[in-house]
Formats: sequence, structure tokens, C-alpha cells
Amino acid sequence: MSEVLEERAESIRMIRDSAGAVAPRGGDSKRVRGLRFVAPGFDKRVFAQMGEFGWIGLAVEEAAGGAGLGMSEAIALTEELAGGLAPEPLIPAMLSARLLAGADDQALLGPLLAGQQVVLTAWQERADTLAAPGNADAPRVFIPQAGGADVFLLPVREGAGLALYAVPAAGADAILEKTMDGGYFGTLRADLARGKRIAADIGAVLDDALDEAALMTAGAMVGLMERAFDMTLSYLKTRQQFGRIIGTFQSLQHRAADLKIHLSLTRAAVEAAAAALDGGAAGDARKAAVSKAKARAGESGLMVLRQCIQLHGGIGYTDEYDVGLYLRRGMVIANQFGSAALHRRRFMALAPEDAE
Amino acid sequence: MIEARESQDLNRLEDEAFRLHVRQWIEGNYPAELRNPPKRLHWDENKPWYFKLAEKGWLCPGWPREFGGLGLSPAKQIIFTEEIERHGCARTNDHGIVMVGPLLINHGTREQQQFFLPKILSGEHIWCQGYSEPNAGSDLAALRTEAVLDGDHYVVNGQKIWTTLAMDANWCFLLVRTDKNAKKQEGISFLLVDMTSPGITVKPIINLEYHDEFCEVFFDNVRVPAANLVGTPNRGWDMAKALLSFERIYLGSPRLSAYAFSRLKQLAERMGVWEDAVFQDTYAKLRLDLEDLKSLYGVFVDKVRRGETLGPDVSMLKVFQTELFQRITDTMLEICGENAGLLDPMEGNRNLNPTGLYIQARPSTIYGGSNEIQRNIISKNVLALPG
Repeated sequence: MSEVLEERAESIRMIRDSAGAVAPRGGDSKRVRGLRFVAPGFDKRVFAQMGEFGWIGLAVEEAAGGAGLGMSEAIALTEELAGGLAPEPLIPAMLSARLLAGADDQALLGPLLAGQQVVLTAWQERADTLAAPGNADAPRVFIPQAGGADVFLLPVREGAGLALYAVPAAGADAILEKTMDGGYFGTLRADLARGKRIAADIGAVLDDALDEAALMTAGAMVGLMERAFDMTLSYLKTRQQFGRIIGTFQSLQHRAADLKIHLSLTRAAVEAAAAALDGGAAGDARKAAVSKAKARAGESGLMVLRQCIQLHGGIGYTDEYDVGLYLRRGMVIANQFGSAALHRRRFMALAPEDAE
Repeated sequence: MIEARESQDLNRLEDEAFRLHVRQWIEGNYPAELRNPPKRLHWDENKPWYFKLAEKGWLCPGWPREFGGLGLSPAKQIIFTEEIERHGCARTNDHGIVMVGPLLINHGTREQQQFFLPKILSGEHIWCQGYSEPNAGSDLAALRTEAVLDGDHYVVNGQKIWTTLAMDANWCFLLVRTDKNAKKQEGISFLLVDMTSPGITVKPIINLEYHDEFCEVFFDNVRVPAANLVGTPNRGWDMAKALLSFERIYLGSPRLSAYAFSRLKQLAERMGVWEDAVFQDTYAKLRLDLEDLKSLYGVFVDKVRRGETLGPDVSMLKVFQTELFQRITDTMLEICGENAGLLDPMEGNRNLNPTGLYIQARPSTIYGGSNEIQRNIISKNVLALPG
């Protein structure tokens, strides 16, 4: 392996190891269960810890106070954290950090990178989109873990540019809805007069940052799939019926083999996309790479998680058993930053066909 | 010991320069009428290409240079194969090149190497593989073709089946049982058999493509010199398994799916369904499956490139590739309408024969270890599920 590749592999290993501080491999689900449906749905102290580890600024350039790492590291991190079901809104915070770095707003960026302030971006105006039209009056929807925000960022269309406003969360009109995994989505009707305009045109940065968030979400899906599948394999190797370990039944073995194939395909697609972005892919090629990964993650992700329930039988349908937590989290992130259908459509529109 | 005909060490070229070098030579030398042949070619058809490669010294890219190969690094071999596939070159009668050569280089005696290897390089010996039997298909180790020592000869009796292009071959590398009392994997040996020996009968099998690619081969008291045994008696199974592992990454290469997919678009345009929303949705899913297969293939190719040995997880590629190939051709049939029932719906357009491709896709999930066997391998050797 070349020196550059080895350094990269080493930095990814370190990120994975460090994630264990929040989402230890083999750890139990006590912390995660305790946070379910208890506003704001996550632990602000853990969020602060994520800042201390440098995760929120992982992909922010060093000059702006970030770690200057790439997508290959970012997906390794989101994979590990999702494997431990961490409910903290790290990906939305990383998106906000990219915007604040783009806006060069150190006053907001500093505390966010340190994990002292939760800054969430209210960019979305409808379901299943990657476009931020920036209508000033439109309610902003599906803001993950909005109840814990200190500041909301709002892209607002002003002439040719997409301006960025920062609005304090305290006193804002935000309605929370419970999500399948015990967290919250917020709908924000923002009063821009209470906020501050911090950038004149954030459009290009937001475009890139949304793609990065989509890819990191695909990475999180890999983490859910991997851990739920591990759990399922252990079950197949211990559960007995008809006097035999059920993992000896060929129908179950073959199904497990198929799930492994989908897991490997998803990982390959996500890691290839991260490598493409880190290698400088731009424009349509960048978007196509992300869409290819997110389409796979959305589709194969839920398929694998559903099958993990099925392979567990009745116990998989109980709330007490952890495998269900993975399906419920999967339902929340599968369509976040674009459903499989949206990304298939976008891939077909943007990816050049091989010449034959 | 055998002169390499390619005088320069191609490993010294930069990857891209090497790729271009190979590409230009293939384009200048490959017979145009043999690009993307719809069927496996017989020796009579593909020997001009075999001899071109032999003459250039490029027949055996993976063999060490001292045995007359190109001695290419794993990374360069991948590029070489990619260029061969990209141009749609026919597979030659390559069992001598990919199976017998490596077998003898690793396990053969000096005499066996000196006798057989030059004759593969010259095209004098064309090999076939005597593995499967009527009652030893997926369960290959159950094979019963027997070889009994009689003085300095083995006497072989039994039957092989699915022997690819046996009618073209003058030599066969044969798995035989030499100890009936041992555990089934432990009584198997490797024999090299002259196909012109008395007592051998070859019967072609007509397959669903109406093609005679496979044969049955019968052995009736065939005398084989004991010196033609490779390696140690009763220790042939491990060598046979090692040779099969080569097949799995080859069978996982996206080339068949990619080829079929390119034809799917042509067919859809011709059938007037290209703009149809339902078709477009199916097409998009297949395309992403193909793209992700390429990503996963890349993971394994990178391992080969780094010189790592591939593990049993390479079976995943074979399963996904072959089933994707089938799904693409399933879609072809679906958009064909009643043309799906025609023997040659595109009237001799050799580059677009959907019903032919549909039939060709069928055995891909059976040969090279059926997909059911591949799933057994994944569940036992990758996922460690109990037996």
C-alpha cells in the first residue's frame, strides 16, 4: 500500500477507535433507551463531547478551526456512531459547521465546533428533497432534534443569492413531532427579524454540504446494518428450535448470505463515493457518486434491517430486544437527505453513461 | 528455461502507458469479426487469436518469465484482463493457460514442466478439465472415476461430464479416485491424460443454446503413465480447490452484466419503450446495481493488486454478478413482447440477440459452483454459521 493510503487508513482507524468513547462496541443500549421520547431526545453533554473530539469540525478546513479531514473519515465516524445508536444530531451539526465556515462566522462557528452550542440548519421546505428554495415565509420542516437547538440557520433567497440567517432558538416558533426512534423532528416558523443575516450567498456551500450530509447518512446506514446483522448472526448461532441451532438451517443460512452481500455492496458504494469526493470529484460527478451511495443505502439498508427482525422471529418484534431499535432508527434516516427514489432519479439525470 | 518472447519487462511501464500499449496491440491484432461472440468459440474459430497472443509472447500473462509467461504483477494482470474484456475478445481454449500452467509451475516435476509448458505456449496441447461427474456436481469430492496402479501405469475407468470443449482438446487434467477407503477428499489425485489414448470417448452435449460447448467424456481402461500424476498421490483435492478459487473472481467480474446492460438500452430503443416510465425505473435500478457491483468488484481487485490472497467472501461477487446478469436479461425478455418467443428476433443482428442472451444467462448461476453452493460457502466460511 502506498504511504498516502496507509496514512489514510491509519487516520480512519483512529476515528473509529475514538468513536468508541460515545458508542462503545459491545456496549448496551441503556443510554440510548433512556433518551427516547425525553426532550430534546439527545444528551447535550455527549454533544459537547463530540465537539471536544473534533468531530463536528471533522470536515471543516483547518484554517477555520476544523480538523480538515475528508469524507472517508466522516463516513467511518457516522458508521460507528450509528452502530451505537447515538441520537445526537452530529450530521446536522456538521452541515451547519460547513455553512458557518463558508460564511466565515467565527462567533457562531467556534462554540459549535466546541460542542457548546447546538446549531441546526432549517433548510428544508418539503419532504424528500435536496433543494433549499429559501422562501422566507415557508415553514422549515424535518429539522432533526430541533428541541435541543440553541441557534437555527436559515437559507433565504434574496435575488440571485441564497443568504444565510442565524435565528436564536429561544423564543422561536418551533413545533416538535416525535420520530420513530424516540427523537424529534421540528417545524420552524422563523421570524427573520429576530435573526441576523450572516452571509449574502451560501448557495454553493449548502449544495455541497447537503451532498456530504447525504453521504454521511449513508455511512450511518452502513453502521445500523452492520450492527443489526451482527446481532442477528449471534442469534442464529445460539437460538435452538427442533433440537438444533437455527443457524444450521439452510434457508436461514442463504438468507444471511444474501444480507451479507447487500451489506458489502452498500459499504463498497459508500466508501467508493467517499473516495471520489476526497479525490476531488466535482459538479455532476460528485452528485452522482453521492446519489449512487445513498440510493443503495436507503434501499438495501431497510431491506437488511427488516430481515434482521424476521430472522429473530417473535423476539425481534419486542421493544425490549435491541434489534428493533435499529429498524426504527433506519426508518428515520433512510429517506433523510433524499430517498432511494430521489437519488436514483438524480443519478440517472447526472451520471454519464459508459460509452459502448 | 523457456525463452520469453516478449523481450521487455512490461512491469516497468507506468500503469496507464501499459494499458495503452495493451489496448493498441489488441485493437491492431484482434479479428474484428470475433468481437463479443454470442457463443463460446471452438478451437477452429479462436486459434488465430490464440496464436497471435502466443507469437507476441502474451498468451500467459500470469506465468513467470522463466516459464515463458509475461510475469506480470497482479496489478498489471488486472489491467491486461480489463483491456481484453473491454474489447470483447473471445475466451480462448484457455484451460492450459489458467489451470494446467499454474498447477505444474507450483506442483509439477521438472520433467512435467519441461514437457508440457512449451506445448501450451505453442498451442500444440489444448487442455480440458475433467472434474464434474454425473454424481459429483456440486458435491465434487464425491467423484468416482477411478485410477488403479498397474506397474508404471494407472488404469482409469469412469465418466466425466460438463467438460468444456473436450472435443477440441488433446489433453485433459483429470481428478481421479486413487484410494477408495480414505475420507472422500483424501483419496483424490491429479492425472494428466492424453485424449488420444485408447479407451476415451467424447460425446458432445447440446445445451439450451443449441450449442455443443460441453461434453461427456468416458474412460474405459485408459492407461496413463504414472509419471503423469501431479504432486503427491491422494493429495489432489487441495490443488483442485486452489485452482477453482481463481474462477470465483473471474466469474464475479462485471463484464457479462455490463455487456448485457449495454444491449438492454439498444433493445429498449428498438422496442420503443425507452421513454416508458415503468421501464426507466427498472433500468435505473439495474444500472445502480451494476455500478455498485463495479464498486464491490473494485474492493476485491484492490486486494489482488496488493498481492493479498482472496478469501471466501469473493463468493459474494459471483452470486451478485450472475444474478444481476440474469435480471438484466429477464428485463430484456419482458420488453420484447412476442419477439421473446423468436429464435432470432433481431434477424441475425449478432450484437443484439435478447433471447440468446437470456438463455446464455441461465447457466451462470449453475457453473463455477452453483449460487446455492456459493451461499453455503458464505454462510459457513464468512459468517461462521454452524454446519
